[in-house]
Amino acid sequence: MASLARQTPLFRRSCLSASRSPMQVMAFHASAKKQILPPLPQVIHGTTNDAVEVPKTHATEGSYHWTFERIISAGLVPLTLAPFAAGSLNPTMDAILCSALILHSHIGFQAMVIDYFPQRRVPKTRAGLMWLLRGFTLATAVGLYEFETNDVGITEALKRIWKA
Amino acid sequence: MNSASPVAVAMGRNMQIRPATSAANLADPTKILPQQRLNRPVAPHLTIYRPQVTWVLSSLNRITGFALSGSLYLFASAYLVAPLFGWHLESASLAAAFGALPLIAKVLIKSTVALPFTFHSLNGIRHLMWDLGRGLTNQQVIKTGWTVVGLSVVSALAIAFM
Repeated sequence: MASLARQTPLFRRSCLSASRSPMQVMAFHASAKKQILPPLPQVIHGTTNDAVEVPKTHATEGSYHWTFERIISAGLVPLTLAPFAAGSLNPTMDAILCSALILHSHIGFQAMVIDYFPQRRVPKTRAGLMWLLRGFTLATAVGLYEFETNDVGITEALKRIWKA
Repeated sequence: MNSASPVAVAMGRNMQIRPATSAANLADPTKILPQQRLNRPVAPHLTIYRPQVTWVLSSLNRITGFALSGSLYLFASAYLVAPLFGWHLESASLAAAFGALPLIAKVLIKSTVALPFTFHSLNGIRHLMWDLGRGLTNQQVIKTGWTVVGLSVVSALAIAFM
């Protein structure tokens, strides 16, 4: 019985904490241990002599993506100011504004998924969220198309609600 | 080269004995370092930084963007499925519902919607300016940051009382 108890880690820990009480043993690191992002399993891939992997070039990534992003952002400036100047937007301009907003939003959400759900940490969550985002973007695009064709359009609707 | 003398070699005293005192009974010695690394403290997060207009506005830019785009996505998706659930999200119904609210609620809701919009729009222009390589010194970033804060509050109030 005694030998069995000595083998149990829990019993051993309780003995340690009991003997520790007069002089508290502090951890070496004073900062609180917050396991927001616990470290991943420590593994080493390859050797020190492996060349750094050069990512494949892609027509919609890197600098092209950056430029595309800025063109949409810059385009949103006059599209946002126009309704304030003109009071509202005609259906074509409203559709352009909606398209730009969807693209801008989609890119923004993508950036958030990329930033907060790293590939090497949560690959499945990231892939799932990317598909969820695509689904939501599609639903938003179709929903806004319906709103533009069956209702009065986003700017006019906002104006009517605002003046209500 | 082993510098043991010929006598020591002849007497068999050239053997060095190094007692293994650390974890001799561990199954896989290569796991010792990974196990220690798993117990390392995680680096402190945003709370250790002094709040400054530079990074606080950067965070707010993303938060307001998320809120604005999230609202757009939720509304458009809800409008799409509204007929299935019998929701009334047409502009006429929304305008009527909003019009029925008391004035203070109207102003509060308008301000709550307008402030993220004005901030994200004006800060977006600040970002586009940076993308052109202008206003990138710390002093300029602080100055334009506070300018954006002031302008977005003023314009949000102006829009709220429109």
